[in-house]
Amino acid sequence: MTPLQKKQLKIALTHVALVLLSALFVMPILWMLTTSVKPINETMTSPPRWIPSQFQFWNYREAVMYGSEELGYIPFLVYARNTVLITILTVTGAVCSNALVAYSFARLKWPGRDLFFSVTLATMMVPFPVIMVPTFALFRWLGWVGTFRPLWVPAFFASAYSIFLLRQFFRTIPMELSEAAKIDGASEIRTFVDVIIPLAKPALAVVALFTFMGSWNDFMGPMIYLVDQKTFTLSVGLQAYQTTHGGTPWNLLMAASAMVILPIVVVFFFAQKLFIQGIATSGLK
Amino acid sequence: MNRHRDARVGILFASPWILGFLIFLAYPLISSLYTSFTSYSVLRQPKWVGIDNYRELYFDEVFRGNLVNTLYYAVGAVPLSTAVAIGLALLLNSKVKGMAVYRTLFFLPSLVPMVALGTLFLWVFNSDYGLLNSALRGMGISPPNWLGDPAWAKGTLILIAMWGCGQAMIIYLAGLQDVPASLLEAAELDGAKPASQMRHVILPMLSPVILFNVIMGIIGSLQVFTVPYVMFPGGAPARSTYFFAMYLYDNAFQYQRMGYASAMGWVMFGITLGLTLLSLKISEKYVHYEGG
Amino acid sequence: MIGRLVTLGVVVTVLAVAFVMGEQVVRRDEGTQKTTVIYWEKWTGDEAKEMRKVVDAFNRSQNKIFVRYLSISGVDQKTKLATAGGHPPDIAGIWQDQLCQMADEKSLMDLRPMADAAGLNRDYYIPAYYDALTYEKGLWALPSTPASVGLHVRPDLVPAEYASPETFPKTLEGLDELTRKISIRKPDGRIQMAAFLPSNPGWWNWAWPNYFGGKLIDGDKVTINTPEARRALNWYAGYSKQFGSQEVQTFQSGFANFASPQDPFMDGKVAAEMNGVWKANYIRVYKPGLKWFAVPMPYPADRPDLAGHANLSQDVLAIPRGAAHPKEAFEFIKYVQRQDVMEGLCAGHGKNSPLAKVSEKFFTTHPNRFIRLFDKLARSPKAFSPPMVGIYPQISSEMNVAFQQVSTGAKTPEVALADAQTRLEGLWATYRKQILGIQP
Repeated sequence: MTPLQKKQLKIALTHVALVLLSALFVMPILWMLTTSVKPINETMTSPPRWIPSQFQFWNYREAVMYGSEELGYIPFLVYARNTVLITILTVTGAVCSNALVAYSFARLKWPGRDLFFSVTLATMMVPFPVIMVPTFALFRWLGWVGTFRPLWVPAFFASAYSIFLLRQFFRTIPMELSEAAKIDGASEIRTFVDVIIPLAKPALAVVALFTFMGSWNDFMGPMIYLVDQKTFTLSVGLQAYQTTHGGTPWNLLMAASAMVILPIVVVFFFAQKLFIQGIATSGLK
Repeated sequence: MNRHRDARVGILFASPWILGFLIFLAYPLISSLYTSFTSYSVLRQPKWVGIDNYRELYFDEVFRGNLVNTLYYAVGAVPLSTAVAIGLALLLNSKVKGMAVYRTLFFLPSLVPMVALGTLFLWVFNSDYGLLNSALRGMGISPPNWLGDPAWAKGTLILIAMWGCGQAMIIYLAGLQDVPASLLEAAELDGAKPASQMRHVILPMLSPVILFNVIMGIIGSLQVFTVPYVMFPGGAPARSTYFFAMYLYDNAFQYQRMGYASAMGWVMFGITLGLTLLSLKISEKYVHYEGG
Repeated sequence: MIGRLVTLGVVVTVLAVAFVMGEQVVRRDEGTQKTTVIYWEKWTGDEAKEMRKVVDAFNRSQNKIFVRYLSISGVDQKTKLATAGGHPPDIAGIWQDQLCQMADEKSLMDLRPMADAAGLNRDYYIPAYYDALTYEKGLWALPSTPASVGLHVRPDLVPAEYASPETFPKTLEGLDELTRKISIRKPDGRIQMAAFLPSNPGWWNWAWPNYFGGKLIDGDKVTINTPEARRALNWYAGYSKQFGSQEVQTFQSGFANFASPQDPFMDGKVAAEMNGVWKANYIRVYKPGLKWFAVPMPYPADRPDLAGHANLSQDVLAIPRGAAHPKEAFEFIKYVQRQDVMEGLCAGHGKNSPLAKVSEKFFTTHPNRFIRLFDKLARSPKAFSPPMVGIYPQISSEMNVAFQQVSTGAKTPEVALADAQTRLEGLWATYRKQILGIQP
């Protein structure tokens, strides 16, 4: 075989592998999508059907409208609004605070810095259930249970994973740039805002994406801290579809789930290049 | 003089985290450590019991079962999802048309909320009418009961772990961008086969990234909760899928034994820390840092 | 420079708006001159609608108290957390089988003084229901809606000679015999129709020993491993053996949600199913026109004294310790106990009534054709409720595990029960020492 043929074969094989594997990976999602437009009696048949007898696209409308005045049902739009509010606050707080803190760990010198960084890493190993109740007690003492505050306020105080990620990135930016700014008389804040942030945009985008995903899909937090049904978020609301005592409308649940993950998919698809470049330059070494 | 100013600025920038740590982490950590030495139902004040909780843990056969189950899961899930993630990243690194679409497709499952993912897989792996078994029966194979047979249940969860490797895959993909094409070309010119290139060029260059993901994977799999919680209530069947985090949760919120649950949490932390340090120690031999 | 400031301005504005909106969503409306009673309840959908009707009627009937109904998922857990925090709801709609644990933790208010003063004593109720709410000399809740469990049968799937309530087998042995005779297998060995499966729906594993005449708790001892329990588990295992344990599990995993037309009973996968009085609601919604009847659960042939037995459950209304308005809360609870109100609520839920007195109209207008049977079962001297002990959640878990071990063949009934007994004895001893303060 000529080298060119070899290359073409390789490309062809790659295509085949990609198609097969991606079909396998995406299969549960495909199932979710086809189920979301099925009539209810075709959702749990044995053997399972892929193609619905009729495409009930109005399931989506019904899933959204599956709510009424007295909140006896699932007010999807209310949950969506709540989730959006919380996510906006969380992502903003995360990006701002993590950038500041990572900058400190990466480019400023202060006593105990490295030790504290190791402690920061260790905090990632604490299982959430261990601190679940004392954290709840803390928020209860503050009077924040039943509000959104326990869900977004901690984001303004940075988090270990994002600190780690951004710190690695900041360390790849040559110190000469900062020094040049200093010689020009810039303060630390100036250096931070004018020199570092512009270069850090991809990494900050990564932090924003991962934080967005985390907050959008967060289940435990809202389940523990939100009390009144009208304050629930989408993830908790999805679960409520299952426990409604009128029977689980599987097709509506799948439609609702599809709508819940749609925003993240869209964001990811369009912003891919930015992220991959972002993580690449952060080195993680 | 400058040093002091530097220190002040440094701490100022880091203050959100320092404050956050003290308020949201230090207090709960110390509080839960104290709780682990008490009998605490949450409904009443904690009562000091010394090391009774730890002693009870030592003899608790359900806890021992948890250890086995959780470690089995970690040992299965971490290597498997690492291999899959690296493999996929290599695949997605080719210059093939439509790569953006493919990458999104592979990343997609990790975006689905775990609760929905668990429900979906309940169907896919359903023994009677699930997709998988229907396909297997169609091929003439008599399929196992993935969800109902203790021998298969954990394996099913390990398989499912593969679907969540989207985030790791992206990070590997990025790491691969850093493997200098020049090195690979040199190797190829030297006559090295792909497998050899893999072993001597790609894996070593990726090793820091692999370490990061393996450690994150260990931490994550030791704390696995949501998917088993949705798919296997109570660790069914017969507690074969009963993991640390689920038993901890049941003790804390069903049996009202928060003290006992806290002790369990601290033991979990110790094990996680131990395994992480072990990984770091082993990594010293195998991980290659470019430029120090 | 301007660009930067504008960006900053936009971000700050967006943040401020999000913050304010977030705060508004969670703000509660301030009360009026009336005392507001906060009522947390587990129900959503139609069941919630029925209770809301009652709440609205109560609010309209007087102008001193305003009851606010809130649908709370995980109501029992949230109530416990809120009680611990000192800000519980005034009324919590929880389950009867949680009362002992919460009473042991002193987290509920003893309603007996107020109930006795209002005439809501044992004579007012069906004894089994009232007794299930009293523990350690206190009355810890009053019922909202009760239920009893019976055997539902499809006459079209059983031979004609058994297809009526009078002629259907009355003993467990008779039921076993029927299952052996009429169950259908597919050519590949999988089950197509099983006349009866004790593991379906599998919600009351704790009750099987009782159905064989045994008890899980005797005084202050845990009595899991009794001859009756062993017999029950052996009987249960017999079904796995008969069909093959893999086949049973595969078959059951194909059972769709009970609230759908593919429910096993409605779909004809089983001919007889143990289920509660509410089953008729689902049949009405998902398969109206289905022919079915209900009979008491069969009894072992050598224990005719157990005839008419049934396990009971209740949704209850309790007042947590530290509730802000207990007296007003009790006014509402008292209102729910009124015969006409209670009957309306229970009929709306398709359940039987917990009151000793019941009107003929309740029976004749009730949506469940067999309501008289379920009512009779609740009044039977052989009716029983979950064991009244604080470690009931653990007992329930261990029983479930034992049944799973037996149906997968991992352990024999004797071993499974012995292990459960040992483990529960240990847990019980720790519980008595740590929670009840009883030194060994």
